[in-house]
Amino acid sequence: MNQLDFDGLLTFWQQRSGDILDMAFQHIAVVAVALMIAVVIGVGVGMLVWDRPVPRSAVIASAGVALTIPSLALLAILVPAFGLGWVPTLIALVLYSLLPIVRNTVVGLRAVPPAVMESAKGMGMNPLGVLVGVQLPMAWPIILTGVRVAAQLTIGTAAIAAYVAGPGLGQYIFKGLASLGSKNALNLALTGTIGIVILALIVDAIFVFIARYTTSRGLRA
Amino acid sequence: MHKPEDTAILQIARNTSGAQIVLDQVTKTYPHQPTSAVENFSMTAEPGELIMFVGPSGCGKTTTMKMINRIIEPTSGSIRIDGRDVLSLDPNELRRHIGYVIQQIGLFPHMTIAENIAVVPKLLGWTKSRINARVDELLETVKLDPTKFSHRYPKQLSGGQQQRVGVARALAADPPVMLMDEPFGATDPITRESLQAEFLRLQESLGKTIIFVTHDFDEAVRLGDRIAVLSERSQIEQFDTPANILAAPANDYVSSFIGHGAAIKRLVLIPVTEAKLGPIGDAEAGPITVSIADSLRDALDALVLSGAPALMVVNAAKKPIGSITVERISAVLGADIPDVQGAGLVSASGAGR
Amino acid sequence: MKRFTTPIVVVLVLGVLLIWLSSLTLDSIEQRTLNVGYIVERTREHLGLTIATSALVAVLAIPTGIALTRTRSRLVRATVLGIANIGQATPAVGVIILLAILWQTGYSTALVALVIYSFLPVLSNTMTGLQQVDEGVRESAKGMGMTPNQVLLRIELPIAAPVILAGLRTSIVFSVGAATIATFINAGGLGDMIVNGLTLQRFPVLITGAVLVACIALSLDWIAGVAEDLLRPRGI
Repeated sequence: MNQLDFDGLLTFWQQRSGDILDMAFQHIAVVAVALMIAVVIGVGVGMLVWDRPVPRSAVIASAGVALTIPSLALLAILVPAFGLGWVPTLIALVLYSLLPIVRNTVVGLRAVPPAVMESAKGMGMNPLGVLVGVQLPMAWPIILTGVRVAAQLTIGTAAIAAYVAGPGLGQYIFKGLASLGSKNALNLALTGTIGIVILALIVDAIFVFIARYTTSRGLRA
Repeated sequence: MHKPEDTAILQIARNTSGAQIVLDQVTKTYPHQPTSAVENFSMTAEPGELIMFVGPSGCGKTTTMKMINRIIEPTSGSIRIDGRDVLSLDPNELRRHIGYVIQQIGLFPHMTIAENIAVVPKLLGWTKSRINARVDELLETVKLDPTKFSHRYPKQLSGGQQQRVGVARALAADPPVMLMDEPFGATDPITRESLQAEFLRLQESLGKTIIFVTHDFDEAVRLGDRIAVLSERSQIEQFDTPANILAAPANDYVSSFIGHGAAIKRLVLIPVTEAKLGPIGDAEAGPITVSIADSLRDALDALVLSGAPALMVVNAAKKPIGSITVERISAVLGADIPDVQGAGLVSASGAGR
Repeated sequence: MKRFTTPIVVVLVLGVLLIWLSSLTLDSIEQRTLNVGYIVERTREHLGLTIATSALVAVLAIPTGIALTRTRSRLVRATVLGIANIGQATPAVGVIILLAILWQTGYSTALVALVIYSFLPVLSNTMTGLQQVDEGVRESAKGMGMTPNQVLLRIELPIAAPVILAGLRTSIVFSVGAATIATFINAGGLGDMIVNGLTLQRFPVLITGAVLVACIALSLDWIAGVAEDLLRPRGI
């Protein structure tokens, strides 16, 4: 049994503030890199399959399978091939992000009203022009929602990646587990967990901000 | 404990062909709102009467209606059905004996059409065979083939068909009173008209006491025995038969609500037989004739359409019995005016000449 | 045909795993874990934890959701949803390890942590499902003389059932994953094989554990999906 010592926790934070911030930064970094890769792959694949029913359902079904696999299992499977650290972490996070991003891309592109598509075509735009110039901007708010969901998902998953030596605040949680019974166990685990919750809340707020400033003013509610 | 209530409800329920409804000084006030939604509303609906509440949206007509089955509880005043104080009865028991149809229909999507209609009979503990027989009977009544529709789900029906099921469901336990809140409001004009016609035919044989809320004055004229024109806080501006309201609107509010064309609207209510028909020789034989079962409105329609000065009126056997002209139609309107003060009306009927 | 894709894939993957394992010569450490008795025991633990979690979540979260939609107090509703949302942002591994540090290691702790972690999908879906019942449907049920309980049991819950079941399905997938982490606090399960394989550098053990967990997750998700289809009231 371990009681919470609030003063002790504050002292702990003071002493290790540099290291905590460093871990928080790494946590954000790995999530951000994974999301960028996932957006490139996810939106790209979404643009390729949105109009083809069979590949579309195949892609969404496989992305769904990836999301169903428990994170520790997925990370573990990657270790024999890719070793420990950043690489398996990134791959796992990208795989988890794909479903929300691909699905929302497809939904967003398909949600463009046929009348809009037809008038774009009628003005002489080719299919690629319509896709990039009309559909993508109109679908952007929905795609961004997918990225936001993916961000929440990966921030939590990155915590487990610390077990395969992935970067970030998850390391504090596992250090807490490793020092179970010692005075600092609770401080370590609490720092890691609270830190991740705060990161998740901050990132979510950032997405609200991004959505506001990257959505065409005509599409805003 | 429940005994006196039960007998009171049974007495209301037994009178399946229309009960008297009395609203006395009924008021509904919502907290934190400066004015009442309904203020001192008093009215008596006689057994078998079809009473229309007409008024603009937000005037409190729906609130007034919903207090009768206590979906909304009145703040003060009393409501009696056949002399029984509604407010002293168990609201759920009460509602099982008051038919209720709303604009959104509210069919239960997870139940078949038969199951939807059977809800109230089941709540009342009817036997299975009695319920089944009743469901089939009601589907026939609203012109839906039981063999075809019983086992379908609401989403498999068109809007008009769903609305018929809504009416059938409200009639399930043969309630003496029906409350209808814009029941045909969500259907397209053509469906609405056929639903209205069927509904009138149905009411003729059933004779329920019905409170029917609508914002459509033409619907009120077409269906109602009496119309209550309501303004803000559900104030009764005029409560009379359609013909009397059209002929003599009580005030400017009612006139503005009737809108233009009051005379034409009245014609809907008057059968061709009311007119003094001219000699058969006045009309040339043609493809367009007026049936004796038509209204004066239909006759006027036919006259305008054909362009002829006079048209033949034929009886059920298609035998000519006289002729009708625009002048003869106007004459009926003139004779029907009980109060000649309605200045707007004189000019309106003058326009017909 | 589409419905059977998942079981076919699962059987194929398990077949490939079996063939691969039988082609290996196992050392003594590997033999200790890669045998039928050990694997069955770990799988039993894993399924037990998952099913107990889902059952508890269903029993606790659905009534909570119903109660929250009935309450008139916005404050209560906002507070519970706020706590549940923050709970969702909390990483599962954090919840489990914190609880172990504060309380004890072992099965009970893992169960409590898993229930906390899988609570939100069922809670929020119960609320969404009930709230999206058409107002006209609710009003006509009331207008026909149903008591509030009859409206809930005969009308609202059946209509909300598909949404509630979808939440339960998500929660089951969550708890299969979180049950893997239970190994960190000595609550058993297939996570044991993954962790042992990693620390002892025995990749066949690690791979077997990971593939089995993945297959369990996919199978339970599939079963829940089939159940969803079968239990969905016709007409919706």
